Amino acid sequence: METMDISLFSMIIIYGLLAIPVALSLFFKLGNVRAIGVAVLRMTGQLAVMGFYLDFMFRLQNAWVNFGWVILMIAIANFTVNKNAGLKTKRFYGVIFTGMTVGSISVLAVFVFVAVRPEPLYDARYLIPISGMIIGNCMRANVISLERFYSSIKKNEKEYLTYLLMGATLREATSPYLREAIKPALAPTIATMTTLGLVSLPGMMTGQILGGSSPMVAIKYQIAVMIAIFTGIIISCIINIYLSTRIAFNEYQVLKRDLFRGK
Amino acid sequence: MVRFEGVEVRYGGKAILQNVSFDIGEGEKVVFYGKSGSGKTTILTTILGAHIPSRGRLYFDGRVVNAKNIIDVRRAVSYIGQEPVLGAERIIDAIFLPYSFKVHRATVPSEETITGLLELLHLSRDILNKDAAVVSGGEKQRVAIVRELLQNKELFLVDELTSALDRESKGAVLDLFRNSGYTLISVSHDPDWYKICTRFMKVEGGRIVLSSDHPEL
Repeated sequence: METMDISLFSMIIIYGLLAIPVALSLFFKLGNVRAIGVAVLRMTGQLAVMGFYLDFMFRLQNAWVNFGWVILMIAIANFTVNKNAGLKTKRFYGVIFTGMTVGSISVLAVFVFVAVRPEPLYDARYLIPISGMIIGNCMRANVISLERFYSSIKKNEKEYLTYLLMGATLREATSPYLREAIKPALAPTIATMTTLGLVSLPGMMTGQILGGSSPMVAIKYQIAVMIAIFTGIIISCIINIYLSTRIAFNEYQVLKRDLFRGK
Repeated sequence: MVRFEGVEVRYGGKAILQNVSFDIGEGEKVVFYGKSGSGKTTILTTILGAHIPSRGRLYFDGRVVNAKNIIDVRRAVSYIGQEPVLGAERIIDAIFLPYSFKVHRATVPSEETITGLLELLHLSRDILNKDAAVVSGGEKQRVAIVRELLQNKELFLVDELTSALDRESKGAVLDLFRNSGYTLISVSHDPDWYKICTRFMKVEGGRIVLSSDHPEL
């Protein structure tokens, strides 16, 4: 079964729906009409570009291009992680790249090469969207965990030093902050898994059902994707915290504050 | 036991300690005094490896302190800051905190030892079940002392240890250190504390400007 296309006329009607939020925004003087306009334009432009390149990649079906694309996604996600977690990109880029790559590629490999096994294995139709979901979620989680880890050590530096003075190793002294950082990074995914199917129908499943898959196939993919995301997040967050501590602390285990953005 | 040889410490481009030299032997009771911001506390925290000297050398038990042995220095020294960090929500957990680290796991103290030390410092046994957030500054300081005493270390670095203590508790703390063989490196403005010290070093602008065996009048 093919998904029913939306005609150009229908798309215009859909865009016409935007008149409602714009009118309400003007009526209540929310002052965000310009922001709405920019957001809609960006969404349209970005998705149009994405539609074209996905279409191109699906037709090209080249292993190098597909894997190169996955690496490029990780590289771009890495900039976001460094910037939003307050780390100086120049110093942490290599470390975060390692964590993101190991975390996302390992679960991606199990998902695509062992569980789904498309023909060919590098089929862009599977590789690109699945890796996008995994990398995107790892990126968000790593921003939270790295930011939380270093900000809580900075905030509780006396407490951290107290642990060192009690004879703790770097790993022991940073453990409380690692726990504090990983929990909030995992929390959204745990919450999503807990309520999946109760509160909302997940996007991927909705897409597959609209695309003609049976609901049973769609739920299997959804479960697999959630487990892959969850596993990828915990692997990448822990690797990134451990590897980053090698450069974030000096040889006396004191935090090097000049490696962080801002104060 | 602790020797500074022309030590300079810089922070944010500014020299906080300049050309600091001294040699403290086993059993000595030394106090650094001087105006706030003169660098007294930095001397203590430099011994603990919170700062890496930009010049000079620091020796501990005859060995140059470096990245490899700083962990041994920390494990051999008891440090009690002006506002001690208990690091746990309940006092009992704060007392047992050091034993959560591998190095101390085999040496967990008995309840009698803890109770004995609490009594020595005029603290009731009930304090163990109290929340760390509700105990007074003076009680916190004494709990920190008990925690350090339990680890049987020989060298104490203490910063304004008597600042939050009432007369009676201060007397107990002073007696404890006066009658012990501990090596004491301290920072204090308290004339009562000076009575138990044997060497007095005045710090001014990050330098030691006076070293004497009696307090400056």
